Amino acid sequence: MADFTWTATSPLQHATRPRRHGAAVQQSGIVLSEVLDFSLVLILARRGQWSATAKAAKEFFGAEAPAKPLAVRGKTTTLFWSGADQFYALFPRVPAAQPLDGMREPFAAKASLSDQSDGRCLIQISGPKVRAMLAKLSSLDLDGSVFPVGAAAATSIDHSGVNLWRDTDAADGSPVYNVLVFTSFADSIWHTILDSSAEYGVEVVRPHALDEKPSS
Amino acid sequence: MRIACPFCGERENGEFTYLGDAKPQRPAMVALEVAGGAAGEAEAFYDYVYLRDNVAGEMDEYWYHGGGCRSWLRLTRNTATHEITSVEAAPGTGASSSPASTAGTIS
Ligand SMILES: [Zn+2]
Repeated sequence: MADFTWTATSPLQHATRPRRHGAAVQQSGIVLSEVLDFSLVLILARRGQWSATAKAAKEFFGAEAPAKPLAVRGKTTTLFWSGADQFYALFPRVPAAQPLDGMREPFAAKASLSDQSDGRCLIQISGPKVRAMLAKLSSLDLDGSVFPVGAAAATSIDHSGVNLWRDTDAADGSPVYNVLVFTSFADSIWHTILDSSAEYGVEVVRPHALDEKPSS
Repeated sequence: MRIACPFCGERENGEFTYLGDAKPQRPAMVALEVAGGAAGEAEAFYDYVYLRDNVAGEMDEYWYHGGGCRSWLRLTRNTATHEITSVEAAPGTGASSSPASTAGTIS
């Protein structure tokens, strides 16, 4: 049988073409981009194994496993909380490597690992009006006093489960939020975000890698 | 109505799904024996599966935070006022070492 090489494409590939949408304003209120080329692994501690899992995560990723709704950055990996005794590891995709490579042994008998890399899209939202826009979509209180940099949440947007966490602020001082969505809902949520952003003026910037800052 | 999830904090009720009364306990008997079991066992099982009180007032309930952390919660809610007086994780949530305890086990 002939081998076939699948080419990975994002369901957002047509939606994320760089351009401006909505109100014609001097400075766009919303900056929107897709983050590509990541690996995503869900780590679920087994019964009575939370401490052992946290220890393994610390050794493997060099980051503290989040025991509550936080996103913690290691050298190349972000660990963000997703539920009781479970969290995601998000790190740059390594070509020709499988996301679970090297992880099975350190987490053996401590945690269950589930590769979700192809099951999610990561949308990054920033801009001076980002909080006003997200207030239309999310019931979370995103005020800086209760949702600072590094805060994370498992919540719903437009009736779909998402993981949302706050990244380090953008160069202009605007907060940056990462929204991880199911691939099958990505296009729908992207357009919901776009519609909610239109009144503030939106700049869609080109898709970028995890460790890359969005730029037009 | 908002529910203060012990893991996520306070969230709107659209993120939660209602299961119902948390009081009924599975009768302590082996399921296979139900058909030919002692008198009363089938009735006890019928009650457990189908019969519910229609409480107007405080009630212990199971809710599922499906639109959030996907944990089962046990809470005390006043069905007449929606006042919630306690919320806790259901037994066996996450990696906690005591698994959910139910009265009956199928051996
Ligand atoms: Zn929750």
